[in-house]
Amino acid sequence: MYQTDFAAVANYFDELILAEIRKKNEAALGELYKTHYPMAVHLVCSNSGTEQEAKDIFQEAVIVFYERAQQPDFVLTCKIKTYLYAVCRRLWLKRLTERKRFDVSIPEAEAFDRMEEEMTEVVESEMNFQRMRDSLQALGEPCRTIIEDFYIRDFSMEIIREKFGYTSADNAKNQKYKCLQRLKKLFFGERNVT
Amino acid sequence: MNEQREIMELLDRYVKGTLSEGEITEVENRIREDESFRALADEHILLTRNLQAYGRRNEMKTKLEALHADFQKPVVSLPVRGWKRYKTLSAVAASVAVVSIAATLWITQNLRSQQNSDYQELRRTVDKIQKSQSALEKNLTRKPVVAPQFAATGFLISAQGYVITSQHVISKADSVYIQNEKYGSLKAVVVHSDPLNDVSVLKIVTPVKLQSVPYTLSQTEAELAEGVYTLGFPREEVVFGEGSISSLTGYRANPNAYQVSVPVNPGNSGGPLLNNQGDLIGMITGVQTQTAGATFAIKSSVLKEILADSVLDSLQAPIRLPKTNTIRNANRIQQVKKLRECVFLVNVYKN
Repeated sequence: MYQTDFAAVANYFDELILAEIRKKNEAALGELYKTHYPMAVHLVCSNSGTEQEAKDIFQEAVIVFYERAQQPDFVLTCKIKTYLYAVCRRLWLKRLTERKRFDVSIPEAEAFDRMEEEMTEVVESEMNFQRMRDSLQALGEPCRTIIEDFYIRDFSMEIIREKFGYTSADNAKNQKYKCLQRLKKLFFGERNVT
Repeated sequence: MNEQREIMELLDRYVKGTLSEGEITEVENRIREDESFRALADEHILLTRNLQAYGRRNEMKTKLEALHADFQKPVVSLPVRGWKRYKTLSAVAASVAVVSIAATLWITQNLRSQQNSDYQELRRTVDKIQKSQSALEKNLTRKPVVAPQFAATGFLISAQGYVITSQHVISKADSVYIQNEKYGSLKAVVVHSDPLNDVSVLKIVTPVKLQSVPYTLSQTEAELAEGVYTLGFPREEVVFGEGSISSLTGYRANPNAYQVSVPVNPGNSGGPLLNNQGDLIGMITGVQTQTAGATFAIKSSVLKEILADSVLDSLQAPIRLPKTNTIRNANRIQQVKKLRECVFLVNVYKN
């Protein structure tokens, strides 16, 4: 009568969500978000954070999971909740450390396969993201928009030339080149500017 | 400078994948052979990757913000028209509702006390001991130790430090300490309560290295007349009691419990019920006062379900239940020797 295997049912839902997220199904993403959001709020708010911070941390974690899910080699070796918890925990601990708060201890997530490697990658990619954000900020206009248009929004040089009103294609290319060199300097720092 | 620019443009197209096949091999050859070119290419690829990742992330962030706003949106209720027309009527309806709720509560409260006269929960009140103890303490001119108000039994269910006991024992507790010969006194917190089945899950918070649990939760329903035994703390010392399964339903034909013929006393609540193989088949909860030798124990399948529920909404790692029964082939004496280490006296302090 009480033989329902809860673990199996939970796993089934996780696999379902993962498969849908791979197909970039937004409804599944919403479901994932709604299901696990309270967990993040609990984690952050019970460790001297606010709900706003919880939201930030949780969104980071969802993005990490989403990006990982798109990679063909990704295999779910634990519950989605465990994965998200581990990411949230690590990111929150990092924030706390940045604030010189070392006295907080958050219970560890249940260990899963390659957890440490995953977490190192997560922290590294977050750092890269922040550095890129700061670099672009420091780059200023119009460089920032040119770079974003070309590399992120994938606009052609022709469109960019028109948009910014450069008289010739060569001018536009020159401008982009200069912007890129400056961004490199900002992003990589002074260490290996060629 | 122009040459550098050309290189960058070539690399841009290489990264974006708009080069022809011949050009791709050319670039890759240069990467392999020309060291300064390789450095340039590596840097460029890394930068564009990071730019793209940055873009993707920002895009996702906007998407999630929208999602968040969506699900935090308050439910919009439709405007009620002609509200005034129903004002008196709804006032009457509301007062009827209030009266009936109050009446129901009062009646059920009454029913509950009637039930209690027939069914006795087996927590032990420690008042008497408290008195004699404080008399002793006075002589010693030491700060009196606060004595627990109730005592019962609990048992380990996972080496992670989860302990099961009766809910009626720890309800409204200020603090809970558990103790036995092996581990001494340990502080525990209540992590989950199921008042309906009279089961609570405690977690030991004092750091301690626990040994693995020797028994497993029985998967199957016990058989009628099967021999069973329990360990409990009806007094400060552990007490063994044995008997058999007398009925497959509990008090008032409760299908979640067994009736067993094990002699128990107040304090036995929360004690483990094991069969001859050392499988855990239930937990002692109470006795029927009008009937001799009718003890009730909640079934292990229910315990299992409650344990699964207990971590559903918490941040704790799931409870890892013991997988192997290491006392299956031992005789009763050896089984009890092992079991003793996992059974605790639960001391409950309240104001």
